[in-house]
Amino acid sequence: MKVYDGSQTESAAQSTPERIKVGIAEYKVTTEPALLTTSGLGSCIGIAIHDPHSMVAGLVHVMLPSAADIDGGNSAKFADTGVEALIEAMEDAGASTDTMEAKIAGGSDMLDFSESGSSIGSRNAAKVRETLEEFGVPVVGEDLGGDHGRSVKLEADTGNLVVKSANTESKTL
Amino acid sequence: MPDVLIADDSEFMRNLLREILEEDHEIVGEVENGVEAVEVFKEEGPDLVMMDIVMPIRDGIEATDEIKSSNPDANVIMCTSVGQEEKMKEAVKAGADGYITKPFQKPSVMEAIEDVVPS
Amino acid sequence: MNVDIQSLGTFNQLAHEGAEQATQSMGQMTGIDAVVDVTKITLLDRADVGEELVGRDFVGVQFSFDGVLEGDTVLAFDVDSAGTITEEMMPGSGDDEAMARSGIEEIGNIMMSGFIDGWADYVGATIDHSPPKYIEESGSDVLPDAPENGDHQQVFVFKSEIEWIDESVNFYIYMLPEYESLTEMMVEHVDTDGDAIPIDKLQTFNEMTTSGTQQAADNVEMMTGIPTAAEVTQISFAPIEDVPKQIGTDTFVGTVVEFTGTPSGYLMVLFDEVSAINVAEAMMPIEMDSEELTEQHKAAIEELGNIMTSGFVDGWANVLQTSVEHTPPRVVHDMGRAIMDPLAAQVGQHQEHAFIIDSEMRTDDIEFQAEIHALPNEKELRAALDDLDVERATETSADVEQIFK
Repeated sequence: MKVYDGSQTESAAQSTPERIKVGIAEYKVTTEPALLTTSGLGSCIGIAIHDPHSMVAGLVHVMLPSAADIDGGNSAKFADTGVEALIEAMEDAGASTDTMEAKIAGGSDMLDFSESGSSIGSRNAAKVRETLEEFGVPVVGEDLGGDHGRSVKLEADTGNLVVKSANTESKTL
Repeated sequence: MPDVLIADDSEFMRNLLREILEEDHEIVGEVENGVEAVEVFKEEGPDLVMMDIVMPIRDGIEATDEIKSSNPDANVIMCTSVGQEEKMKEAVKAGADGYITKPFQKPSVMEAIEDVVPS
Repeated sequence: MNVDIQSLGTFNQLAHEGAEQATQSMGQMTGIDAVVDVTKITLLDRADVGEELVGRDFVGVQFSFDGVLEGDTVLAFDVDSAGTITEEMMPGSGDDEAMARSGIEEIGNIMMSGFIDGWADYVGATIDHSPPKYIEESGSDVLPDAPENGDHQQVFVFKSEIEWIDESVNFYIYMLPEYESLTEMMVEHVDTDGDAIPIDKLQTFNEMTTSGTQQAADNVEMMTGIPTAAEVTQISFAPIEDVPKQIGTDTFVGTVVEFTGTPSGYLMVLFDEVSAINVAEAMMPIEMDSEELTEQHKAAIEELGNIMTSGFVDGWANVLQTSVEHTPPRVVHDMGRAIMDPLAAQVGQHQEHAFIIDSEMRTDDIEFQAEIHALPNEKELRAALDDLDVERATETSADVEQIFK
């Protein structure tokens, strides 16, 4: 079994892990020690799920709260169906909801012009939490809200989620 | 020396107008929205209001309407980036005495003021 | 001539699937892992086609096609990526120029068949393509000349951008169909007539936007003293989830407003950080010489954004004889894509696809470049196009003197 001591030296010495880009309204699942990345999260949310037991990791980039609100579109576009699709794809790859852990980032309130009701960002966040709870997947880290954009990078082997913003230092969840 | 109230939500634009006007005018107030414009107008009774249109809380057309209906002798010059014919007609209807479109140069501001409040 | 939104969506989807098919073929031959990043349909002036390629060298493979759809198409690879591709196909061939060239031609041939076949299947008819023509050109010269048509100054371009996973190089597939054959095909495939848009009026709308961009550029010049020229203006159509990708991941400074009326939507004025500082300082009475973006810079950008926004939308309102209101500008300083993202989400609550109106302006004097992007709500854009009187298209500016006489 491979042991990770958390230091950066080991990974730096290895060949760089494969980068897997996840676009808006897309999800990707991997069983390799890859880097799953998605950029430009405004009111969108990136949901990173890691199962340390089976070493399966996945990332989905959702845009709107619920598939029930609009006709058509693919499942990964919405918080409810997107989380579901990701969890199912991870189960197909051998993961189990019993050992999955989720980290979420995004859901900013920036540029919300709606005068009444809550922003899309916060509605997205509420829907993501609700859906994860339905599947019994705990949220173990989050960086939500605020008025800035984010990009995220999920290290599939460790489950670390690195969150970057344009004007602040990056942080690891 | 005529006294002037400046209503514009942009700090940059208030500064610019102040620089253009302060030599020959007394600036009695600088406000950021239509509600404050009406309030300060009532308190200070300036000879002239330089009024932006797109402002938060209350826009410049509504504020002009209120100022002019309570005080028909008031002088209001719209000073705005909006160059739409329908908007200009709305401004006329609200009682505006002049209309300057941004970006402007000092001479055009002075000319518009001279037309409305002859020295 | 009306085309419904659904069939524009279908055509975009065909181009996207075609590009995916082509990319897959390439993957099978070379082992190169690539994905189709964006596919969009753009209507723009023929002279502006390929503006985004300027300053780079390309190896391309051109084809002409005819049948139910006529026109030209090209695969354009960065010079470096072309070398990599042939090397992957046939190790050692990178040094043999004739072999490399033949490899590129063949790969282009196979990719292009994949691209065109989907279209032919959809319309249930044949589209033939010519043998590949190999070219090495710089910038937009890699593209075939846009098809000539006396009646139409503008052309529809289908553009797919394909990205290699492990490399920082991209390649492109452009398809330039003849206006008539394309619109005829679109009209024939109208599914419903409820949400149809008058496609010819989109051209007029583009012309109005061009003059709005010129007005915005003139406003910049008046406020800064920097001679500023309007560049490309175009209107594109893409699935809502591809909208944020229209803007890069670089950091931008600018303003965003919501506009209401006919049309309605969101409008952003964006500057890269260097341009923002340069233009803000040109507006200030005192020398700042700052490298960093300060609050004073942002205040100047806020007002400039406001004035540029008005310059841009006033023309629409005046031609349509209506008023278009906009909120006070909100200043943004963030990753470009993240700025567009919440706006796309807001529009995306009501529609699956979106029109995106893009304009650019720049100057030669100092490093300065600005982009304007508008994201109209489909329903109000359609209403605006319906109301649009083509005869009034040049009446973009209002006469203050006439109204305040």
